[in-house]
Amino acid sequence: MASSCSRALRHHACKSSRILRIHLQNSWPNRSFALNSAADQQPAVSSLEEIVIPKKKTWSKEAVLQALASTVNRDPTASDYRFQDDPYLAPRTSLDFKLFSLSQESGRNAANYFINKYPNYFQKDYAHPHIPCLMPETLEAQIEEASEAALAERVQLRKVKAAVDLYDQLLQAGTSVSLDVTNELLELICFYGDRDPAQENVPEQRTEETPQEDVQDEPQTKRGRGPRASDLLKAPWKEDNNAERIFAHLSEPNTRSYSALIRGMVKYGAYSKAFSTYTDLLNHRLTADVHIFNALIAAAPEAQEKYNEKWELIVDLLKQMAEQKVKPNLLTFNAVLKALRRCGALGKSQAFPVISEMKALNIDPSLASYSHVLSIFYKIGAPVQGQKDILQEVMYEVSGKSFTSQDPDDAQFFITAMRICLDTKDIEQAYRVHELLGVGENWRLMGNDSRQNIYYARFFSLLCLMEQVDVVMKWYRDLIPSVYYPSSNVMTDLLRALDTESRLELIPQIWRDIKTLGHGNRQKLVEDLLALMARETHSQQVQDSLADCALDIKSMYSTGDRGKVLMSWTAGSLSNVISVLLAAHRRSAAWETLKLFKTHNRVPSADLLNRFLTCVKESGDVDQAVELVKISAGFCLPDTHTLIQRIQQEFQLSEQHKSILSDLEIQTFNSD
Amino acid sequence: MRGAIMYKRLLNIYQVRNGLIHTQNTRLPSKKCKEKERFAPVIWAMGRARPLGTSSIFFSENKESSTSLSEDNEKRPEENEANAEVNNDGQKNTKINEGNNVSNATLTSQLETEPVVKLEDSKKFDKTKTGKESLLELLGAMKVEVTTIRKIRPPKIPRISERPDPKPMESVQSMFQHATAEVSQQRETLNPTLVAAASAAASTLPNSRQAESELLQQLRKHEAVPDSQRRADGQNIGDIIADMKVGKKQNGRSNARPSSQIRFDEDGQGYTQDRGITGELDAVRTRKSPFTSKRLNIFNAGAEQDSLSDLGPTLWDIDLANQIVQATNQTPRNGFEEMIQWTKEGKLWQYPINNEAGLEDEASVPFHEHVFLEKHLDESFPRQGPVRHFMELVITGLTKNHHLTVQQKQEHIAWFRDYFQQKDNVLKEAEA
Repeated sequence: MASSCSRALRHHACKSSRILRIHLQNSWPNRSFALNSAADQQPAVSSLEEIVIPKKKTWSKEAVLQALASTVNRDPTASDYRFQDDPYLAPRTSLDFKLFSLSQESGRNAANYFINKYPNYFQKDYAHPHIPCLMPETLEAQIEEASEAALAERVQLRKVKAAVDLYDQLLQAGTSVSLDVTNELLELICFYGDRDPAQENVPEQRTEETPQEDVQDEPQTKRGRGPRASDLLKAPWKEDNNAERIFAHLSEPNTRSYSALIRGMVKYGAYSKAFSTYTDLLNHRLTADVHIFNALIAAAPEAQEKYNEKWELIVDLLKQMAEQKVKPNLLTFNAVLKALRRCGALGKSQAFPVISEMKALNIDPSLASYSHVLSIFYKIGAPVQGQKDILQEVMYEVSGKSFTSQDPDDAQFFITAMRICLDTKDIEQAYRVHELLGVGENWRLMGNDSRQNIYYARFFSLLCLMEQVDVVMKWYRDLIPSVYYPSSNVMTDLLRALDTESRLELIPQIWRDIKTLGHGNRQKLVEDLLALMARETHSQQVQDSLADCALDIKSMYSTGDRGKVLMSWTAGSLSNVISVLLAAHRRSAAWETLKLFKTHNRVPSADLLNRFLTCVKESGDVDQAVELVKISAGFCLPDTHTLIQRIQQEFQLSEQHKSILSDLEIQTFNSD
Repeated sequence: MRGAIMYKRLLNIYQVRNGLIHTQNTRLPSKKCKEKERFAPVIWAMGRARPLGTSSIFFSENKESSTSLSEDNEKRPEENEANAEVNNDGQKNTKINEGNNVSNATLTSQLETEPVVKLEDSKKFDKTKTGKESLLELLGAMKVEVTTIRKIRPPKIPRISERPDPKPMESVQSMFQHATAEVSQQRETLNPTLVAAASAAASTLPNSRQAESELLQQLRKHEAVPDSQRRADGQNIGDIIADMKVGKKQNGRSNARPSSQIRFDEDGQGYTQDRGITGELDAVRTRKSPFTSKRLNIFNAGAEQDSLSDLGPTLWDIDLANQIVQATNQTPRNGFEEMIQWTKEGKLWQYPINNEAGLEDEASVPFHEHVFLEKHLDESFPRQGPVRHFMELVITGLTKNHHLTVQQKQEHIAWFRDYFQQKDNVLKEAEA
């Protein structure tokens, strides 16, 4: 038994090794992608030179993975990679998406918090080789006695209060502290505005301050600055704070000390003070560094009132930079461009010279530079005539290039460009912007989830406005819901696009998606949908599916989440549902719906009742016709009279019916 | 293959438009095809006689494809015209434009469609004639046809009906059409009979004198098309394209409509102006971009500056990097990207796989340090006896142990050294 077993095993092993060998041979020629990536790494060798074949190729540690990652395309039917571990938790609405991605992030944060809070429980090092990032960080100061090393350690751990206290102790004890450590302390104080840092900023949490998803579709370019602006409001630069005090005690402050102070002042909104500190620096015959100038340029629009004064101040600063032989960097020019956004018409004339200056200095503009240029020329809410070419020129300049992020404002570019496309209704440029997004690693520069949402909302709205329905639906299937969860406004846009091309047969399908996306309880959207469905009559098949859809919508009204009714019937939506049902010859369902008028205290229109009567007449149901008149009389409609007349003319009435009708006639007559 | 055929087909059309092979065009798009078709019936008959003959199938296929394609050719212009009509109706009311440059495009799009339709009619009888006769005949017919178009459509001339086409292939195609149509147009305007026809057309209209002068003005404008385009007549398509570029440069931007004719849509925001051919030629034009404008001239490009930022990353640098990371999207899109992220964090075994990962401090230790451990036994252990025997076994074991570093191996031996020294008296008692 055992021997036969082992023989079978050996046989199997033999076979599998043979298969493996065949596979290896097969895959051998397919290594071209690896070779490609190797070629990428090498510096470009011109063809004239002799090709030197290296004896050993050193790979970067990510090269293999990058080559593999480049072979994976996006799957429009799958949800985000973050959620693929657990299909049950694949988000279907934007709220789910937010909730799940946040909970994943906050789970990580909680784990980190406990590891760092109780490091003594996490000392066992399982990993070999050692993995530093899995071990607890030391957050408590180890050196107890008052010394310069202890001060440096506290600065390293970013403990502002403790560091300042220790510095004071050292000074009182008469110990001198070296300039470098003092500068580091100054930087720390200025950076945090003389207060202990709050908890570490967590990427996901910062942007999720607005739980209402519809808010995100509003054009907000200040979003990115939002948190910082709020920091700035609640924490202004205090007069004579520790930074200024320590600075005043310095016998010989150097450029770095000034740099720390000025940057801190600009960060916390003390602009005029920053400029006076700068004059102080010049009086001490020191030269400023590039960071000081960057901060001052950013502060320039705040320091001056008039447009031309702002610009003159900036030019003056730039000239001083040139005089002091300080080399500007990308951030300098981005700060200039950002300041130009607030210089009115001057911005339009000066933006391009600034870009040319950058190019002359061999500084490649980043996406933030272009984003600032676009913002200069296309103000939010301003008329868009006349500058249409600027976007075209910018796209001509950037298209096909792969950018890396160098400025926090880089992430503004895509939503700004898409906003302009939407404002100018320029679908051609919108496609180019979207194409740019696919180049290289540019997708990373689109920013976080909320920016992504804004971008796709604008793009999709534009598609709905400008494209044929078939194209729109192609994009719809591609984008939704794998990368984008549309808001109810965007769904309204989509309905409008269907409306303009009268492709109403797609409505049941869209309604299913609306329900999945969690907009099934948006009253306005649902009412729009019903109005669209009821407006025209269609072929029998379409009408049937529309009727099913209408009944589904009707059930949404009656059952809310957890027994909560979220939408209330209006007379319009009720009559729309009835119209759809009547057009599909679902008389009994329509009759049920008609009763809802009574229960919800809504009044049907005379037109609807007339149509209903026509439908009843087709089936010749006299009882129902009389009931209809009763309902009409119950609402004291002025047209009850004509209804009764119609019934009397068009139906074969029994004596009983006649008497009821005459009663009703008298009744309505009296009430009139 | 199909693409190549299409291209050839297009080429044929343009040659036809230029008045080269008018007669056989619609039926037999080129001489080669013509021969083939003449030849085909013969083979065809053979094929019938011998159904298994492969050559017959081959030729019949050729024939089929050629005829179906020529049908395509006939269809497409009609579609074009239909599109143009739709555009006219939709935009006639809102747009009134005097710009002749722009109207060129639409006018030619009408013009170019007509001759082909006309050719279709003529092909019924042209089979019987020789190529040259029918060519002459057709030329004559075509001119008359063109003038009648003018006659019918004078009020519609000023307008823009081109919508920028999203697909580059189609745009190129339409560009060709424009080019050839313009060329053929020039030839037509040279004809004095056209002038006569124009006046005749104008006489049918209420305000005949004005209409006539307008028509003639239009004609003269066509005559004024640059020589460069005229030269393109009869040359290959590459030349036409090259000349198109030149033409574009002259009127590229000037054909924007006057500002008084801004169109508005329902919500009050204007559409962008139709770019038409300007937008299509985006890729080939050489224009003055604002990005090449003058610079501020504050800094010297070549100046090398000192750098005092060699102190390592400051708090601000870290913060900047942090802000950039937070502003950008760092979430992985697939498993490999997640692995890249882990690799960067140091959580993952690095590629390419290396068995010595994490043993960097051992890399400089030579092999013999690990294997030949006898030298550590020399001084403090007895030369012979059971202890010596035991220690030899220990170092043999250590030699084969790849989990320990040299340092650890030495420590191990040192521990035994200490141990046996402590137990020295016990060993002596046992006389080991």
